[in-house]
Amino acid sequence: MIEVKNVNKSFDGKQVLFDISANLLEGHANLIIGQSGSGKTVLMKSVAGIYRIDSGEILYDGRNISQMKSNELNLLRREIGMLFQGSALFDSLTVKDNVMFPLRMFSNKSEEEMEERARFCLERVDLLRALDLYPSEISGGMQKRAAIARAIVLNPKYLFCDEPNSGLDPKTSLLIDRLILEITHEYNITTIINTHDMNSVMEIGENIVFISKGHKSWQGNNTEIYDTGNEDLENLIFASDLYKKIKKAHQMGI
Amino acid sequence: MNAIERVGDYSRLMWKTFSKPDSWKMFGKQYVRELHKQGINSLPIVCIISVFIGAVICIQMRINTESPFLPSQLTGYATRETMILEFSSAILCLILAGKVGSNIASEIGTMRITEQIDALDIMGVNSANYLILPKILAFVTMIPCLVTFSITTGLLGGFGVALFTEMITPMEYEQGIQYSFLPYSIQYSIEKSLVFAFIVTSIASYYGYTVKGGAREVGKASTNAVVNSSVIILLFDVMLTKLLLS
Ligand SMILES: Nc1ncnc2c1ncn2[C@@H]1O[C@H](COP(=O)(O)OP(=O)(O)OP(=O)(O)O)[C@@H](O)[C@H]1O
Ligand SMILES: [Mg+2]
Repeated sequence: MIEVKNVNKSFDGKQVLFDISANLLEGHANLIIGQSGSGKTVLMKSVAGIYRIDSGEILYDGRNISQMKSNELNLLRREIGMLFQGSALFDSLTVKDNVMFPLRMFSNKSEEEMEERARFCLERVDLLRALDLYPSEISGGMQKRAAIARAIVLNPKYLFCDEPNSGLDPKTSLLIDRLILEITHEYNITTIINTHDMNSVMEIGENIVFISKGHKSWQGNNTEIYDTGNEDLENLIFASDLYKKIKKAHQMGI
Repeated sequence: MNAIERVGDYSRLMWKTFSKPDSWKMFGKQYVRELHKQGINSLPIVCIISVFIGAVICIQMRINTESPFLPSQLTGYATRETMILEFSSAILCLILAGKVGSNIASEIGTMRITEQIDALDIMGVNSANYLILPKILAFVTMIPCLVTFSITTGLLGGFGVALFTEMITPMEYEQGIQYSFLPYSIQYSIEKSLVFAFIVTSIASYYGYTVKGGAREVGKASTNAVVNSSVIILLFDVMLTKLLLS
């Protein structure tokens, strides 16, 4: 479990996150939702330790990340997998080498064992046929899957996904969402997902944190989300007619 | 950001860069790749420019020193001295700042804006060390070869003039380039170039690594890298010449 307590973060005097507290649960998909620019990416990168927070605490199973020395932080980072908004695959390496990269950097396994592990992870995301292609030669959805394979190759305890389905069609989005959820349950990972895709929210929202203009304004799951009484949240989720209808149907008990 | 902050920022980045690699094997791989990219791939441009500059210097020296009172060896001598003392170290590094420097700044800058550097950091890799150190070391390793190659091809360019024109005989040119030769001047040239190579690669890496924004900023970083490293090379050229030669 990751506990976020009273986190504040600003850039050059401009405050982006205001006093955010939330519990992110082990073995579950924890969603951070909010409008574009509300601070989701900043929150995620702060929790992951890429940005230094101004005040507050972030506890990884009780370990306070801001009090860690750099070698402790490096060890923690090997327990973290991260999927970036733009995939962030290394474009000078093939898909296979991308997935093998963390292994080559940090494990003492033999070349064969590393290759086997990489193949296993690529198989898990159904990407074995793209093994020797470069990131620029595969589609956006495949890039996301390759990035997932790279993120899970070291058996992470914590998985961060920044908009895993931005720029993907609804069907591929669903596949990616389900894949992340399955992996989360399978390996009991604490998974944090940033999204503004309402399909994902309804599909995999086990623990949802809603961020509005840098403030946490609601937390709950995907059944509670229909009756929150939170105006900002309603405006975000039920912005389209389709979701308004779904909400109505839900309230009428259909 | 003012100049002093920049220097501080740059020093901090270099401090992060010069540390023990997380994996020597990966470092070796990157290093060899950079040797090839910055060293071998620069040979054609070094060759072309040096041959032509060598030839031009030879022609101009001949035209300006054509007088019965001046020895005919002067042309070869002056060509050699110009190539060794200035062209093949300082000017060559200025030219390579354009090729190698802009390449490094845009490569690292693109990795920054596409979050590839964040991806390295989150894995617990020292991204500055992994990306920058092999580039600096590879170019510093290759620069003595490039300088020597440039001197050689430059002198051959001059020899071409002697061979294919009536301005000067090959014999006179040969005598000229051997006249009063000081081996120390080669050492001086290479020592200077080592400093310049460090300046080009480290400044380009700094500008690339600290890009914020998008593709436009990457372009700007690459321009800044070339302009600033060129100015600093020229400053150091004056200082090093004063220190090493007088
Ligand atoms: N490195 C940075 N330096 C300065 N300001 C930043 C930085 N990163 C983000 N911000 C600011 O923080 C705010 C929140 O940005 P953030 O990227 O977290 O939004 P987001 O919720 O992830 O949006 P999106 O859904 O579009 O990705 C924005 O106003 C942005 O300008
Ligand atoms: Mg974002």
